[in-house]
Amino acid sequence: MSGMSAFRRSNSPKIAYVIEPRFSGGTSAAVAAELPVAAEFGQVVVHAITSRTFGENQHVSPVLRKVLDDLQIPLVWDAPFISADFVFLHNPSFLKFQDTLGTKIIARYLFVITHENFLRPGGEEGFDVSTCLSQIEVSTISLRKTLAPISPYNRKAVVNWLTTSRMARYWDVLDCDWFNICQTDLSTPCETPQDRRGRHSRPGFEKFPAIADLDACFPKHSQCNVILGADALLEARVLRAHWNLLPFDAISVEEFFGMIDFFVYFTAPTWQESFGRVVAEALAAGKVVLANPDTGATFGDAVLTCRPADVDAIISDLIDHPHRYHEQVSRAQSALDRFSAGNFRAMLSSILSADSGVLT
Amino acid sequence: MIYVEAGTRSLRSFDAQLIFAEQLSARGYNVCIDAEYLPENAGRGRIYDAAKFLVDPAEHTAETVFVLGAEEIDDALLASLRKKQLGPGVPVIATGRFVTQQSYIGAKARLAYALGREAKVINLTDFQPRSLMPSSVSPLVADIRPVSRRPEREMPNVTVVLGSMELDNPETLSCFSRMSSQGGYNLKLIVSGTQNDAIKASPFHDLPTYLYTGLSPLTLANTTDILAMFGHGIAGVRMAAFAVELIAAGGVAIDCTEDEVLTSSGAPALLGPKTPFALDAYLIGKVIGNTPQISDQASKSQWLHTVDISRLETAAGLKRKRRGPVRTKPRTLFFPTNGVGLGHAQRSTVIAKELPDTVSTIFAAFPSCVPLVRREGIDCVPLVQRPDTKSNSDGNDILTYRRLGATLQENDTLVFDGGYVFDSVYRVIRERRLSAVWVRRGLWPEGRSRQTMLRREGVFDQVIVPSEAFEELNDAYSYGDHVHYVGPIVRQVEQSAEENEKLRARLADRFGREFSQLVVSMLGGGVASDRSAQLQAISGMLEARPDCLHLVVTWPGSAVQPAAFGWKNTHVVQTLEAIKLCMAADLVISAAGYNSVLEMLYHKIPAIFIPQSAPYLDDQTRRAMALAERDLCAMITEREFMKLERTVSEWLDHDCAEVYRSALSKIELPETGASRAAELLTKAGYRK
Repeated sequence: MSGMSAFRRSNSPKIAYVIEPRFSGGTSAAVAAELPVAAEFGQVVVHAITSRTFGENQHVSPVLRKVLDDLQIPLVWDAPFISADFVFLHNPSFLKFQDTLGTKIIARYLFVITHENFLRPGGEEGFDVSTCLSQIEVSTISLRKTLAPISPYNRKAVVNWLTTSRMARYWDVLDCDWFNICQTDLSTPCETPQDRRGRHSRPGFEKFPAIADLDACFPKHSQCNVILGADALLEARVLRAHWNLLPFDAISVEEFFGMIDFFVYFTAPTWQESFGRVVAEALAAGKVVLANPDTGATFGDAVLTCRPADVDAIISDLIDHPHRYHEQVSRAQSALDRFSAGNFRAMLSSILSADSGVLT
Repeated sequence: MIYVEAGTRSLRSFDAQLIFAEQLSARGYNVCIDAEYLPENAGRGRIYDAAKFLVDPAEHTAETVFVLGAEEIDDALLASLRKKQLGPGVPVIATGRFVTQQSYIGAKARLAYALGREAKVINLTDFQPRSLMPSSVSPLVADIRPVSRRPEREMPNVTVVLGSMELDNPETLSCFSRMSSQGGYNLKLIVSGTQNDAIKASPFHDLPTYLYTGLSPLTLANTTDILAMFGHGIAGVRMAAFAVELIAAGGVAIDCTEDEVLTSSGAPALLGPKTPFALDAYLIGKVIGNTPQISDQASKSQWLHTVDISRLETAAGLKRKRRGPVRTKPRTLFFPTNGVGLGHAQRSTVIAKELPDTVSTIFAAFPSCVPLVRREGIDCVPLVQRPDTKSNSDGNDILTYRRLGATLQENDTLVFDGGYVFDSVYRVIRERRLSAVWVRRGLWPEGRSRQTMLRREGVFDQVIVPSEAFEELNDAYSYGDHVHYVGPIVRQVEQSAEENEKLRARLADRFGREFSQLVVSMLGGGVASDRSAQLQAISGMLEARPDCLHLVVTWPGSAVQPAAFGWKNTHVVQTLEAIKLCMAADLVISAAGYNSVLEMLYHKIPAIFIPQSAPYLDDQTRRAMALAERDLCAMITEREFMKLERTVSEWLDHDCAEVYRSALSKIELPETGASRAAELLTKAGYRK
């Protein structure tokens, strides 16, 4: 970091974040986590854009508000011009319901961090990517425009989308992942794991697999099955006597993790987590995580990847061999290092210095 | 089974589901709608429309799913799709009018989340660049039929949709009334509830009006040759679907809307006058007489391609199954209402038995009538009776509608014997395109609204009025070539004096006692008028006569007051052969219903009549009075207990009945009308 301090002193770049601060989920959390790191590199200004996706109000996600206040970074709403050495535009999908970005961006380098997958599993578009990128493209003057994927699956989707798009020539793809910083206290795993399973997510249909898969993941013979965020299941009366269905905010995440030893997380096969912060939280909480291969790919061997039909056998094996359970948790928590603020700092440093002409 | 779902749950969406379900059904597919979609405020018409489609999804496996209105998808749809756990081979086709690419992608994604696989999503804005109703959830498609397949009618049916037309100008209704009365076409008006109220409150209340939900768009299109649409814009999706169906079926649409909504969408419609005052001249001068050429021109329009339902079928991989008629031989179905007793059913069986053997006859009847019909060797579809007369529930009539619909097909004949024409009857005639005959007895009581009673007469090809025995009782309620008066329809039984004696002997044996005088009381089951006081009085006065047997005769299944069972000389008999008991009786005391009176008259049985009275009955007092004035019976009103006692005594002790018997033997009665009615029915069937 000493080198970093040196170049801050000698040459402090202007970094502008362009965000829709009303995202309630992972995007705002990710931006909030990286702002302190970015602030180490230069003068950070955060620009909020009012988009049709969220309407007219100027609400700011609480997690983001707190960081902005802590760092005393001003939040500028709907500036007609944004000028900076580096502009980081997070999650372009907020432009999907409009035709025009009412802000001109003048930057040496523009990075668009692609939080939402461009393509869903199977190849269908996740949102109207062309509309979003076109708005950015026509509103921006920069030396280079780069798409920054946040995970292996997210990268695959960006690359595949570009291969079919006429816009490919306007955009580079960052060769390293603009990952989410996941830096929470690590909990030790339980001494003797039991067949206590659970999952936690927002209640959207995309977050849940088919009912048959849910049945396979959370069977009758399991000691407990806690489904936090089961609002839609409750509403649709998809009930099982052996399921403990809880609405999204019914209990805290800490309480939830206290109820389970295995985090079993499958989504609709037609949707894919772009990063999977919930998985990282479960790993940090000392749980064994079972998920599909694409979700697991973000976390390497930290996640046991499988199909819903395989869940029972894996859990049974780990209960029979607690040492394997402990090894897995240990391995997983080590892997979380990859998503530390330090690693992000290094990634950002390489981006800011590489060929930029700014940080030299 | 094809499920028709909708992106959101609302009246608007439900209309779209009904319209599309009916179209698919008409094309031979098994279609259903999850009953959860039925809105609370669906209203009477929609409930009838929906009855044949609503199902519990747990009972029917989905083979194909159509989702309408996918531009807006709520969680209820997604939950419904997910709960169905559709197999990978079940096609899911969604239609929507997506204004942006994002709305298309968003809808596709949401469906995919619920299904776990991709649905085929059709953007109707590509399909129909200029939709009749750009906000419509309904895909507004139709079966494109060759003009040559249009039925030819003697007089074209002209349907006028009033739309947002104000009726504050009194000349407007007067104009429609003139149009309705002239002979060049049959006119009907499609109106809103408010317009309907205004018309019914006006001097032109007999204008043939239908509410928007009165019949399905498909049925409207099938029964219309020329449509004229007024107002601003289109009056809802049902009317838009009606217009599309009609044009697709080779009918003529005239765009009289202020904003020329039909023609501006590219539909091959005529641009007509924007005021109804010029419509008649326009119809007579420009349209009627030229309809084949107009339809022919319209059939060449490219617009038809944009509304072709087969494009959606292709998307779903559906193979159209042409449903041929299940039967090749047409049948004649009698539907007698049950009224108070079984009079309607009995009259219908009398007519049915006069039909030639070549006519395939079947009945649909309420449970109380079923044995009566079946004992005549006629098959009978059992219906469900209304739970009670005070209930406003349409539940049993919806079931009747379903059963009639399942029993009848095009070219069959429906014979309805009853007063009030139920929705079930009216709808099934229209939907199945039946030949329809209304057997409508006269002698309506004072105060009954003729307007209400006759409102649906137009749905029948013929009205057969069984006459009363005396001319002064034969009131005319409607006129025209379709109304036929036939002689009294009465069941006639032959029973010799010897058979009478044998019957009396059997009764003595059955009740374990000898008697010299037999009294029969037939005062009804107390449904219309409570006659328990009179029955008690009669039973009481006969109790003192040890040589008298008193039988309280009712139809099988009728309710009998418990007090009737408390007498030694009185016994309750439930039978379909009341007339035979009457023929063997010394004294008959009866209500003055049509059948009872005619049976007494034609079998020359002297009787004491105690007329019943209820708003839904015919005028029994007038009928009994007509006989009494001719000394053919004694008539006693419900309050004349002293007279009742005196008369009974006189008849039993002094044979006062003789004077009536003598008059009965001399009276000349009109020829009975069952054969003529049967003849008319036979012709009705052939005419189709």
